[in-house]
Amino acid sequence: MPKTPTSDRIYKYVTALLSGSALLFIFLILYVLIQYSYPSFVINGLKFFTTTAWNPALGSNIVTKDGFSIMQGSSFGFLVYIEGTLVTSALAILFGVPVSIAIAIFLTQIAPMKVRPPVSFLVELLAGIPSVVYGFWGILVLGPLLLDQIEPFLASHLSFIPGFAGPVYSYGLLDSGLILSLMIVPIVASISRDVMIQAPIEQREGAKALGLTDWEVTRKIVLPYAKTGIIGAIILGLGRALGETMAVALVGGGANLLLHSIYSPVNTLAAFMAISLDGAFTDPTSQDVYALVELAVILVVITMLVNIFARALVKQGFIRSSEGVVRV
Amino acid sequence: MSKTSEGGADSSTALAQATQTVTVPWYQQRVSNSYRRRQIWDKILKGLILVAVGLVLIPLLDMLYLFAYKGLTVISLSDLTESTTAGTGLGGGGIYNAITGSLLLLGISAAISVPLGIFSGVYMAEFAGEHNRYASIVRFFSDVLAGVPSIVLGYVGYLLFVLSAGWGYSALAGGLTLSILMLPYILRTTELSIKRVPDSIREGAIALGSTRTSMINKLTLRFAIPGIITGVMLAVSISFSETAPLLYTALFSNYPPTALLHQPVAYITGIVWTFSQMPGTGPHDLAYIASFVLLSLVFLVNFIARVVLKRFSKI
Amino acid sequence: MSGNQELAQEDVATQDLMTPNDGTGTRGGSGFSIRDLNVFYRNLHVLKGISLEVEPHKITVFMGPSGCGKSTLVRVLNRMNDHVEGFRHTGQVLLDGKNIYDSDVDPVLLKTKVGMVFQKPNPFPISIYDNVSFGPKIHKTFKSKDALDVIVQQSLEKAGLWDEVKDRLKTSAMRLSGGQQQRLCIARAIATLPEVILFDEPASALDPGSTAKVEELMVALKKNYTVVLVTHNMQQAARVANKVVFLYKGDIVEIGEPPAMFENPKNPLTEKYISGHLT
Repeated sequence: MPKTPTSDRIYKYVTALLSGSALLFIFLILYVLIQYSYPSFVINGLKFFTTTAWNPALGSNIVTKDGFSIMQGSSFGFLVYIEGTLVTSALAILFGVPVSIAIAIFLTQIAPMKVRPPVSFLVELLAGIPSVVYGFWGILVLGPLLLDQIEPFLASHLSFIPGFAGPVYSYGLLDSGLILSLMIVPIVASISRDVMIQAPIEQREGAKALGLTDWEVTRKIVLPYAKTGIIGAIILGLGRALGETMAVALVGGGANLLLHSIYSPVNTLAAFMAISLDGAFTDPTSQDVYALVELAVILVVITMLVNIFARALVKQGFIRSSEGVVRV
Repeated sequence: MSKTSEGGADSSTALAQATQTVTVPWYQQRVSNSYRRRQIWDKILKGLILVAVGLVLIPLLDMLYLFAYKGLTVISLSDLTESTTAGTGLGGGGIYNAITGSLLLLGISAAISVPLGIFSGVYMAEFAGEHNRYASIVRFFSDVLAGVPSIVLGYVGYLLFVLSAGWGYSALAGGLTLSILMLPYILRTTELSIKRVPDSIREGAIALGSTRTSMINKLTLRFAIPGIITGVMLAVSISFSETAPLLYTALFSNYPPTALLHQPVAYITGIVWTFSQMPGTGPHDLAYIASFVLLSLVFLVNFIARVVLKRFSKI
Repeated sequence: MSGNQELAQEDVATQDLMTPNDGTGTRGGSGFSIRDLNVFYRNLHVLKGISLEVEPHKITVFMGPSGCGKSTLVRVLNRMNDHVEGFRHTGQVLLDGKNIYDSDVDPVLLKTKVGMVFQKPNPFPISIYDNVSFGPKIHKTFKSKDALDVIVQQSLEKAGLWDEVKDRLKTSAMRLSGGQQQRLCIARAIATLPEVILFDEPASALDPGSTAKVEELMVALKKNYTVVLVTHNMQQAARVANKVVFLYKGDIVEIGEPPAMFENPKNPLTEKYISGHLT
């Protein structure tokens, strides 16, 4: 067998080397994150995970602790933000998933053929809208709508449910949750649709011939078939919600207290990180910055776990994400 | 096992039901409660599904309408060619600074991520076999990279480029951060597009004596190009839709860019971010214009990507 | 599961659940009367002025080359075509005197009266028992588990599958062979107590042995049901049919009875088809 020509070998090694850029980037990310969060992990330790306050104590003196200089009396905790992240994501899933599955059912079972491409297109368009635009729309339309109409209605009629009693604010948890749910719909709906459309048509016909109504065919044949794929889609949507930054930064209301009600201002890990870094520069000890980087590490770990779980479901071959990679 | 009496009673009920065949016309049988309930349920669920579709389409259409309407009524040519007035930053003038800034950022990020991504994709698709461990690792970490939240990438960009490398807030810092974001996308779509090219083409070329290099360059890539271009366009659309990676790397500026280093640049999403939070029509107008431009670009890119894919996949 | 002994006891009380007594020991017996039926898919005129009678307790065969409209015609009978985009029809299709396309007719109900067996066996990926009981469970026709067990057993018996699966009712239907799966689908259709069973090329995906079994079944079933069979296999039609309707490009070319129709076709087109010169 003839030797591989040199041009081929050069090509192979050059491209292999360039592929290493992905590894390089990951390495750089890890390195920098660890380097700059290390002080915060050391100084704040476990208290970080149990404190609600975020207090850089900028006015006080500089002292040393554990070999680092810190502001006296400063204390950093992630509770407010992790709560914000988890609750907003939960709301996003709560509102977004049923709607997404309904859209997928609509597109695969109910809608007349002519309607399907335009509706599909519109749903995918939702995926392309930048988060700041969502946030701006939230400020212009959803916020006032919630403040003037919906929230007062909820507060007066549903106040017996914990979390629904007033006072009402315009920017807060409900606002953020609703916008987030809108943002995860394209992902969950399009993957669900892709999986559902593969449900074997013979079985759907067979069920229909036995006298099942359309909904029964969907419920008993299509949904069970698509179950794993839909779960994977939900998890991918969750990943997106966890990492979402700008929309929540705009309509969350910027909280530093734990949530009171569904109307309370909220801050997520990502939104808080986006808003606070420039303020953190005023800390002469940089502890504020280090603590923020620790938040970054926590956020990355959480999203990583969610993505790995989603990918495990993908490996079972039940999801076909049409672009191959879904941006979180 | 079966209790004859119970079984008998039920069976004769069923029997009686079945013998109705003779006395009641077929289309009037079995209109029992359970039957009507099923029909009602079916209609209710269909209605709920339509409501859900409306719940999603209405905000979308509202957004599109709002920004198209406002954008078109407020915009004028000067808005695209002037920069935001500096100083008090109360928002006047236009978004020229942001447009030029975004273009520069796009240029830098594309110049880095597109070649890297395409060549990596070529390697993964053409040279890495099924069991190549290096390729699996690259693929895994590329997926991991895709999952890193954009604000974290922004932090990394700040710490790495603005601080450690000493570039300060700059177009280069922002561009490089964006390229980290875009790389996994381009890699994956390139890999998939090349893999879709049928092996018969490769074998034909090699049988004719071509080297792998020229085969790839001349033949396979040509077939894969529509897919690759679509991937690149989608990555490009992501690059000018992102804000978080740029907040602390490119920062913001009221002037169009003139340098790659040590000079913050503006970007279109930044306009929305900054001015949406200020009260008053002046700032909001700027935000409207920027939103309109963004949505148009997204629409355009999406549309072109689809058309390109449809047109050229028939080769 | 009731053994054969206990069932004999029940028999006295229940007789055969599947064939109620109208005095003649057979089912009420439904037949179709099709009057000037035209079917369009958007602008494509698929069935042209079809008029024919499907007689109770007989096997009526729709036959013809591909594209002649036989599948469309059989799917009209249980309104499966309703779901196809662009479906339009004129004319009447009467089941026991009532037009199935009347507005007061529930198409879902119709499908329990007119069952269908498809070309490719399509059991659900659940147990054999669950497959057969699928219809009754949805329509809630039986109130006790015992009654349901009896239905399942009798359906499987009528489909000629009971002996082969009685010990493994809870195993997955997907483990059955192609021929067994098809008989399972027949049992499943029977379980909804239909009057008419439609067979759309039921044996074309099966081996000759299973095909023979299905044909035997159809002949046995006509005692209690009305059978409509769609096939392109002339020998099969000759073997089982009481009446053959030969279709070509949406028109009825000839209606006749085997063996006469095959030996002395009246229409030259029929002759051409029989001799294999028509595709």
